[in-house]
Amino acid sequence: MEALHDFELVRAATLDDVLKARAAHPQSALVGGGTDLMVNIRRGIVTPPVLIDVTQVGELQAVNADEGALEIGASVTLNTLAQDDAMRRHYPVVAEAAHAIAGPTQRNMGTVGGNLCLDTRCIFYNQSEWWRSANNHCLKTTGDTCHVAPKSHGVCFATYSGDLAPALLVLGAEVDIASPSGTRTIPLNDLYIGYARHDDAVEGDGKNFLSLEAGEIVTAVRAANTSGLTSAYDKIRIRRSIEYPVAGVAVALLRDGDALVDLRVAVTGTNPRPVLLEGTAELCGGPLNDDVLQGLDALARDQIMPMKTTFTPGHYRRRVASVLAQRLVTRLYAE
Amino acid sequence: MNESAPIRNIGDYVPMVDGPEKVSGRALYTADILEPGMLAGRIYRSPYAHAEILEVDTSKALALPGVKAVVTGADCDKTFGVLPISRSEHPIARERVRYRGEPVAAVAAIDDATAQKALGLITMKVRELPAYFTSKAALALDAVDLHEHKPGNLERDVFFELGDVEEAFSKADLVRQSTYNCAEVCQNQMEMHAAVAQYDAVRGRMTVHASTQVPYYVHLMLSQILDMEMSQIRVVKPYVGGGFGARTETLNIELISALLARKAGGTVRTVVSREETFITHRGRPETDITLKLGMTKTGRITGVECECHQRGGAHSGYGVVTILYAGSMLYAIYDLKNVKYIGKRVLTNTPPCGAFRGHGTVDVRFAFESLLDQMAGELGLDPVDVRRTNYLNAPTFTDNDLMINSYGLPECVDWVERESAWRERRGNLPKGKGLGMACSHYISGASKPVNWTGEPHATVKIKLDFDGSVVVLSGAAEIGQGSSTILVQSVAEVLGLDMSRIRIITGDSDVVPKDNGSYSSRVTFMVGNAAIDAAQNLKQVLVQAAARRLEARPEDIECLGEVYRAGTQDTGASFNEVVEEALKDTGTITVTGNYSTIPESHGGRKYRGSAIGGTMGYSYSAQVVEVTVDEETGVVTVDKVWVAHDCGKALNRLTVEGQVQGSVWMGMGQAMSEETGYHDGLLLTANMLDYRVPTIQDSPPIETGIVESNDPHGPFGAKEAGEGSLAGFLPALTNAIEDAIGVRFDDLPVTPDRVFAAIEKRERALARAAARKKSA
Repeated sequence: MEALHDFELVRAATLDDVLKARAAHPQSALVGGGTDLMVNIRRGIVTPPVLIDVTQVGELQAVNADEGALEIGASVTLNTLAQDDAMRRHYPVVAEAAHAIAGPTQRNMGTVGGNLCLDTRCIFYNQSEWWRSANNHCLKTTGDTCHVAPKSHGVCFATYSGDLAPALLVLGAEVDIASPSGTRTIPLNDLYIGYARHDDAVEGDGKNFLSLEAGEIVTAVRAANTSGLTSAYDKIRIRRSIEYPVAGVAVALLRDGDALVDLRVAVTGTNPRPVLLEGTAELCGGPLNDDVLQGLDALARDQIMPMKTTFTPGHYRRRVASVLAQRLVTRLYAE
Repeated sequence: MNESAPIRNIGDYVPMVDGPEKVSGRALYTADILEPGMLAGRIYRSPYAHAEILEVDTSKALALPGVKAVVTGADCDKTFGVLPISRSEHPIARERVRYRGEPVAAVAAIDDATAQKALGLITMKVRELPAYFTSKAALALDAVDLHEHKPGNLERDVFFELGDVEEAFSKADLVRQSTYNCAEVCQNQMEMHAAVAQYDAVRGRMTVHASTQVPYYVHLMLSQILDMEMSQIRVVKPYVGGGFGARTETLNIELISALLARKAGGTVRTVVSREETFITHRGRPETDITLKLGMTKTGRITGVECECHQRGGAHSGYGVVTILYAGSMLYAIYDLKNVKYIGKRVLTNTPPCGAFRGHGTVDVRFAFESLLDQMAGELGLDPVDVRRTNYLNAPTFTDNDLMINSYGLPECVDWVERESAWRERRGNLPKGKGLGMACSHYISGASKPVNWTGEPHATVKIKLDFDGSVVVLSGAAEIGQGSSTILVQSVAEVLGLDMSRIRIITGDSDVVPKDNGSYSSRVTFMVGNAAIDAAQNLKQVLVQAAARRLEARPEDIECLGEVYRAGTQDTGASFNEVVEEALKDTGTITVTGNYSTIPESHGGRKYRGSAIGGTMGYSYSAQVVEVTVDEETGVVTVDKVWVAHDCGKALNRLTVEGQVQGSVWMGMGQAMSEETGYHDGLLLTANMLDYRVPTIQDSPPIETGIVESNDPHGPFGAKEAGEGSLAGFLPALTNAIEDAIGVRFDDLPVTPDRVFAAIEKRERALARAAARKKSA
């Protein structure tokens, strides 16, 4: 096993401690369960001189859910979320997504904030120092080439693979962000700025994928006005545990009589960001039928762009994401 | 009246003798050895796939404070390798590197951080050479040779034709040929490779603790690499966290640690990362097979033609043996005449392959059982009946002179057919569900060891002293498979004693007799027989002593375990009294037991290498796999597995069932999710996320049937149980998928994306056919 580098560990007790430490150490990293960060540290991908442990911070531990709203603190463990009765009853999409993450050991340690801000992944990036060096590094670290698409013109295609983000996106969630200069709340969708398309005005990519400013941290995620939405999450895995999503899909919908009146679909494991499909509102208004499902398939094919960032081919990930989306929609509509 | 009776354990569910240490965490593995002053060893690995080494500059590393020794290829001009005929590998590359990750230098420093830092100061200059990552590329006419003495990058080509294959095909009612590709797979033992080398500079002695399956090979290779007398070397095998064949060969890790320890004049502990464990490799090679079978309309196989190419990696390793097994083990399961085999073991710029569980037999068995199934379908025959039509008539010798005395395959097939309700259910399952079956077999130890010395194949010592405890001394390497338990059981059984009286000591070359090691499923058969022999010899000593004590004739003495008596009316003498009597002659008693295979088991001389495949007894296995295929996502779920294994006699039903289920499970990994992938020779999948060993969530219910054919030569009738059920899973799975959705998979692993792609292809073909029909 690779030795850890020397670092200072700050055990924060309050949010204030965290923010002060963050301000004092701009190169620091927050550590919750460490299930992703420690792996990256051991691989020499990151070497933060200071780690700020946020697992004991009281302000970050809230888990509240009722039929109209939910609030989850950043240090809540994935297992707590997966097992929470109210969450399972009102927001199965969230509990299912939490339960689908990695294996029991990682869920006991891993946190909501860590999963939401999960570093993007790529088979050319999540490798040892020796490996990356032997491969001339890549855009996401110190190299000048994206090995996924050598003609990417400086765009990194690393894939966002958090399971929770799509589940919360379909609930219209917002995130609370704190910094020494105050707090702000933004739509969760705006936390992610990574795009994989050259034709868009590129704000971010697989390397620069979060909109957090220096010193800012995510403290909680919340959603309101969710009444009546039914929701679910599913993901394709090659094996049934300890897997990032080959493709993960969250759906929330509202049905009134036979009419589909609200439909939200979000996908993970395919692009440098979790993708809340655009255009689903246009599929609403009537009953669920083949036209709606074909319309959904077209949206998915258009907006999901997996590249060769995993061992599993991109074509499969894109197609199967659409299959999962159609299945979940069909199932929820029938419930 | 004496109510004593010998205690029996054979055939019971017996907990493993080393279980308490393992489940409580008290068991110490190589990496647990920590001593003051110990140095950390780390290996600098080649970033190049194929290159001539011009310079390795370690001066800056050596100058780093805390670095105690640096070694490079210049420190050792010797080669090592498991096969005396092909030792191509230096522990540290000299002159050339041949795969990305090959050791180029190594550092011993006061701690891991310093050692790691030192690696960053090492530089190498090279002249790059063309690199070949596939068998095909390496075999190309203009390819540069990886090794001068292996022209054309052929480690070994094998050819034999026994009978007349063309004639056999001409007589067949159906002849079919198919090609198969099995991805490279790599063992994933829980414990990462580790070695601790202690050099005693005063006495010039070397002690090495290593995570190995064969301490004896480590001993031999240390002597060769260090150019030291074997008598100056001690090899200790602590608890080992799994082997699966990766640790049969001596690995460069223990050799490099020893080179470092000697140079540093101290102790060096090298615990490599998971990535390095993968790169050290010795897994199952990527295999391309072209198989042609002839069959009569009743399902009788008339002829076999098999061509097998293995991408062996950059060094010889076990290669010659692996490519020979792939051919010879076409035999010994069905009654085959007219077999032609062409094998090519290819040298490529990838990490060296080795002896993965089911050594050499698995991929060819996949191809064979797949084609058998396909042809049965074409002929309208039940796959089970086709197997029955081709049974051997044991006892017999195969055309390639393999000796078969016990043959429980028919009972295995009957068991899985009955338990899976094959007759009632196959063909009657809902859409997307299917049943498939296949058979497999394996050897119970190679009848001729790789290092042929003329010694017995196995030697066990038993020590009995004043305290009445029986201590078994064996070199058999307990690697989690249960060998120590079997040896204790065997000795206890012969002496009629409770197992609690028996202790076992293994794994220290200073103490225990040499053993050929834990590979090719040899230990229960060979070392078990030696343990029985030793226990019988001890019993003789005790019977003689009891006769003296009881003033009776030895032939009248009855051994009841804790009591020895002369006739049923005799109250007899207790075991301790008999021991006391026995010690009067000699003091502490040591007895020896030996075992050797018989010449008839050594294979024939019909082709070069035909000894490979010879064994004293073949295990047999049949399995039925039930699957559900999700045609929209390509996800295959194994609903249930029925497996029956003929292990001759189950000495310990608990460990037999565990081994059989473990084999099924490992086969499932290879069949469904495990594969290595390379990017220009860089191992992409050297971690447990991207190399997908199944998790317990993926484990189906496995019904295990034990068939006992009572081999006449086996210890209490036993044969191997640890490998033979692996190969059958692969074709049973793909046969089941074919039954479920009508698509046959000839390439492994059958991952969801491959299933999805195959279904898309089928749909497109159907659409085209429909369009043609419409336009016509």
